[in-house]
Amino acid sequence: MKQAIRALGWAINILWIILILFAATVVYSAFQIRAWLDPPYTNALGNTLIVSLPFHFTNSGLYDISNLAFGTLIQDSNGVTMSNSTTVEPFIPKGVQADLVHNVSFSLTDMMSQGFSNLLFNDTQLDIDLSVRFVYARVLPLEISTNMTMPWGAPLYNLALGSFTVNPYNATHFRVTLPISFENHSFFGFSGNIRLELVDNGNRLLGSGNANLVGVSPQAPYSSVLDVLVSNPINIRTARLFFDTSAFSYGPVVIPLV
Amino acid sequence: MVPRVAKAAVKGLIYFALLYLVPTLLISQVSGVAPQLTSGLGRILDVFIIVIVVFVVASELTSGTIFQHALNVGKAIILMVFFVVALDGGVLNLDIESIHLVADLRIVLVTLIVIDLIGLARNLLQAINFLSEKAEQQLPTPKPAG
Repeated sequence: MKQAIRALGWAINILWIILILFAATVVYSAFQIRAWLDPPYTNALGNTLIVSLPFHFTNSGLYDISNLAFGTLIQDSNGVTMSNSTTVEPFIPKGVQADLVHNVSFSLTDMMSQGFSNLLFNDTQLDIDLSVRFVYARVLPLEISTNMTMPWGAPLYNLALGSFTVNPYNATHFRVTLPISFENHSFFGFSGNIRLELVDNGNRLLGSGNANLVGVSPQAPYSSVLDVLVSNPINIRTARLFFDTSAFSYGPVVIPLV
Repeated sequence: MVPRVAKAAVKGLIYFALLYLVPTLLISQVSGVAPQLTSGLGRILDVFIIVIVVFVVASELTSGTIFQHALNVGKAIILMVFFVVALDGGVLNLDIESIHLVADLRIVLVTLIVIDLIGLARNLLQAINFLSEKAEQQLPTPKPAG
């Protein structure tokens, strides 16, 4: 029995030594990990805006990192999810630097159809949950997360139509000219087309016209004029605007004119 | 009796010095980076030191009796419960300023519990060995025939 007691004593000592060495090397290695973000850049793919976040992970520790997942969850001020993206790197060996790009995609057109149309016209604050999950030394799952707010600038902030002017065009029609203005508070520029429809108080179409939106810069005001040919300008009551741009498609925006 | 008390006191002081000084030095390296983390670690370490030192002193004071082994068994059970509570069931949640850290330390917890279970088994065997030696001493010594 004394041999059994001695053997158990040795087993306890060996396990303690292994555990303490492992814990010490893990703590030391954790302080050798470096991670940093480069400045983000944006891209447009059809109606989808992509914000790319380049980040780097240097594993100078003694153990490998596996199943690295960098995630972002973006919600509006009401807690409704606008974007949920994850970038995964399966394995980062020790002594290696991993260069990754995390893409956050926004389809403003999809968001409009899901009820986010207020984001086109109103500035607000977005909630962003950032999280990094990985397994260290193959046995220790870790998750680091943080929450921040980011201001959202509306691309069509303060959209307004000015007073329209009417001039004769030909024997049957008049040219109605409306000034349009808005402020692009967003971080992306866009271009495209605006279609304007003028309707009477019975919602009957009086005339329509198109205008190009050229080079709407981010963080800048925009103004232009829209021309529509109508046969009876006296009955104009309401304007309906339809936007078809490189960043979003939305309409109608109904604006009373009288 | 006095040598036993002196021995217990010296052993208690040595364990206190080892368990307090070395971890305190390690924690002080981390405290500059995460003071909230180290304040929590400090409290856990204090409780751990108290449990170990009390049982070491009590075990030394009762050495040579069955109570020593009973105390060692009690220490193993208490340490198992302590590790489960201190490590929050193996999943640690820490908030450092605006950053939330979740560490799944269940493998470490399982290892600690296994070490304690082996220690518990050893203490039980030591208690059984002590009792059997005690019983053998009380048996009459057989005299040679003739």
